[in-house]
Amino acid sequence: MTLTFITQSLVSGINVGALYGLTAVGLALVFGVMKILNVAHGEFIMIGAYTGFWLFTLLDCDPFLGLPLVGIALFFLGMICYKVLFSHVAKFVEEVKLKNSLLVAFGLFLIFPQIAQTLWTGDERAISPVYSGESFAVLGIRIGYVPLGALLVAVVVILGLHLLLNKTYYGKAVRATSENWRAAKLMGINVERTYMVTFSLGVAIAGIAGVLIGLTQALMPAMGMEWTIKALIVVLLAGIGSIGGAFFAGIILGVVEAVSAIWMGPYTVAVGMVILLVILMFRPQGLFGKA
Amino acid sequence: MLEVQNVDVFHGDIQALWDVSLRVSEGEMVALIGANGAGKTTLVETISGLLRAKAGAITFNNVRIDKESSHKIVQMGISLVPEEKGIFPGMSVLENLELGAFPAKSRKQKDETFKSVYGLFSILKSRLQQSAGTLSGGERTMLAIGRALMAMPKLLVLDEPSLGLAPLVVKSIFKVIQEIQDSNVSTLLVEQNVRAALRIATRAYIVENGRIAGHGKAEKFLHDEKVIEAYLGAG
Amino acid sequence: MSSKRKKYSTITIIIAILISIPLMTQRSDVLTWFTLTFLYIILAHSWNILGGFTGQQNLGHAAFFGLGAMTVRYVWLSGVPLPLALLLGGLSATLFALIIGFPAFRLKGIYFVIGTLVMAEVLHIIFDILFPRASVLPAKLLGSYSMNSRYYLSLIVMGLMVAVIFWLSRSRCGMAMMSVREDAEAAEASGVDTQKYKLFAFALSTFFCGLAGGVYAYYSVAVLANSLFSPEWTFDALIIVFVGGVGTILGPIIGSVFFVLLKQLLSLYLPGGIHVTVFGVLFILVVLFLPGGLIQLMEIIRRRISLLMTA
Repeated sequence: MTLTFITQSLVSGINVGALYGLTAVGLALVFGVMKILNVAHGEFIMIGAYTGFWLFTLLDCDPFLGLPLVGIALFFLGMICYKVLFSHVAKFVEEVKLKNSLLVAFGLFLIFPQIAQTLWTGDERAISPVYSGESFAVLGIRIGYVPLGALLVAVVVILGLHLLLNKTYYGKAVRATSENWRAAKLMGINVERTYMVTFSLGVAIAGIAGVLIGLTQALMPAMGMEWTIKALIVVLLAGIGSIGGAFFAGIILGVVEAVSAIWMGPYTVAVGMVILLVILMFRPQGLFGKA
Repeated sequence: MLEVQNVDVFHGDIQALWDVSLRVSEGEMVALIGANGAGKTTLVETISGLLRAKAGAITFNNVRIDKESSHKIVQMGISLVPEEKGIFPGMSVLENLELGAFPAKSRKQKDETFKSVYGLFSILKSRLQQSAGTLSGGERTMLAIGRALMAMPKLLVLDEPSLGLAPLVVKSIFKVIQEIQDSNVSTLLVEQNVRAALRIATRAYIVENGRIAGHGKAEKFLHDEKVIEAYLGAG
Repeated sequence: MSSKRKKYSTITIIIAILISIPLMTQRSDVLTWFTLTFLYIILAHSWNILGGFTGQQNLGHAAFFGLGAMTVRYVWLSGVPLPLALLLGGLSATLFALIIGFPAFRLKGIYFVIGTLVMAEVLHIIFDILFPRASVLPAKLLGSYSMNSRYYLSLIVMGLMVAVIFWLSRSRCGMAMMSVREDAEAAEASGVDTQKYKLFAFALSTFFCGLAGGVYAYYSVAVLANSLFSPEWTFDALIIVFVGGVGTILGPIIGSVFFVLLKQLLSLYLPGGIHVTVFGVLFILVVLFLPGGLIQLMEIIRRRISLLMTA
């Protein structure tokens, strides 16, 4: 158990954790603002991944360069889904809204993998540009170009979101709407439009995360649920309402998993879930949330 | 300026307002008085677009607004300070005020509007970076009113501004409301503190069980025996 | 004939028909279809007890199916007579439910939903690792495999399930559960021990879910832990209950018939899994526009027809 080995595990844990964090941020954004828990979040990640795959294999577009395209495409998909489906849910009282939005997202969770199956078959795919396996060494630790790139993208996206939410009028409107949508209406804020844009933004972030995931892991139509659960774990670990915290919680989960993998082997997948159950039992407000 | 004509409003299946009409002219302060649950809040929420009238019409400067969404109504110049004040507790006082100036027109002029709002509520200036959730009741009311003013409204609607406040604070709030009215912003004032409201208002409407039970010059009601008996005991 | 007697005689006729089906035909596809439909009715209605009547959406249903199935499979294959094995299967599921029940019901709303989903997935992973290989029926039992016994077992357990649901819908117990669904706080305030009823509903729900798993374990030639604990069982139950009509007696029954029928039909002509898409769409439509499911649809149609008749 050398120091190098542990450090290497930590590095890969941070890399994976950044992806966890990014996916969680998209979910947390939508839930924090609109109180809609999009359990089909993983499905949008999957669609983003396959879209990146298509851009790469059909149009020869470098996956990193293609990220803005995927983001825009998924933004529109999110807009359509919101307009057609979730906007009907938004008018319910909060408890019913939560339950029904869960059910609607569940419906999407049933549908999307089937569509993906038809379009891309059940075979495993991967986005593998030329530089896929390459890495460079720093003090004996190997750092892959792709995971590093993914980490950077994740950080940039989250910083961008942070700036958007805190420094722009739109961001203020979003935060106001999430605190008190009636009062927000009285400020002249178009709450319906804010919801739609926020939802689409969350889906776009999921899509971007999807491409990054597709660069590091295999793509399968059924991959969505696993990521939905991961995102849920991180969101609850951070605490509902904490969007920035979701990123850090993701890194924490990634590192914890990486370290546990050393002893637990195949059971590692369960680590995150057990953490979630513990959080639900003893600290439901999460690490960074308000009680 | 504001014309409410024969409006019926329902909460789900339960009717709350029957055939309600009222009018606010430019430069006026109109008071809405009545007991708890009479329908005053329902009426102002309908005017602001949070509720829809099932029958009747509401026009503002000759434009129909009863079918408009609330954010459009704000853009047209009506600002409501709701009963619960509706400040955003997680955001700072400054951010709350900035949000008041959300509509494009008022956003451009917000620096000037800030100055006039600070002139009315100097205490807000000293608390700009403070989280709005930590303000006292009176300070919240001031913030809510100041925020509504940031939208440069032509009609300011206040729902129970004095609710839950200590008498001295109420006094200063009413002084400010008078100043606002003097600066030519028309005001529709819903108040349980009937005496204070009638003292500064031009005209008044009495709301009883979802209907308009009387209206006229505020001065007249101050001396009206029935009104005194019914409402001024609590004043 | 009064409508009550009409109802009872209709039910008797249906029961008579169902009992005599294997006497009329020995076609394995027909018997399979019926057996599976009965199975899904048990699966769906067991979820309905907790989700439909009591309003607690348990997304971990598959865990109990898996526990029941595993218990029955291994206990029965090691020689224990089937009825006892089934009982043990149901009880093992209920036991687990009671263990996690107390902490689980401390969670409210979506926390409960997520918690149960994750809990079931943890079990899924653990059992998949512990039992990676399929359990196949030994040659002796394979030789004597009789579709009839599977059919009748499924029918009996389904009958039991429906009887329990029927009883619930008419009993004070059921009313208490429904009051928890409608407004737990108000129920508590009027003296209903919501915790007790939630746990009871949970125990009942998981017992029958375990039984369903057991029936499936008996029916299947080969079973794999990974698929016994697959969340698909939860999702199928949800789909059937909601599309059929959540909280009703007839809803999950009609839903199951519809579900198995559609599954068989669609898998004949179209690539596998398309039935999931169709149900996904139906599911969304129901949630947004027709919360009472197919039952509500039938009511609407019946009313339209009677209007036409009297016009």
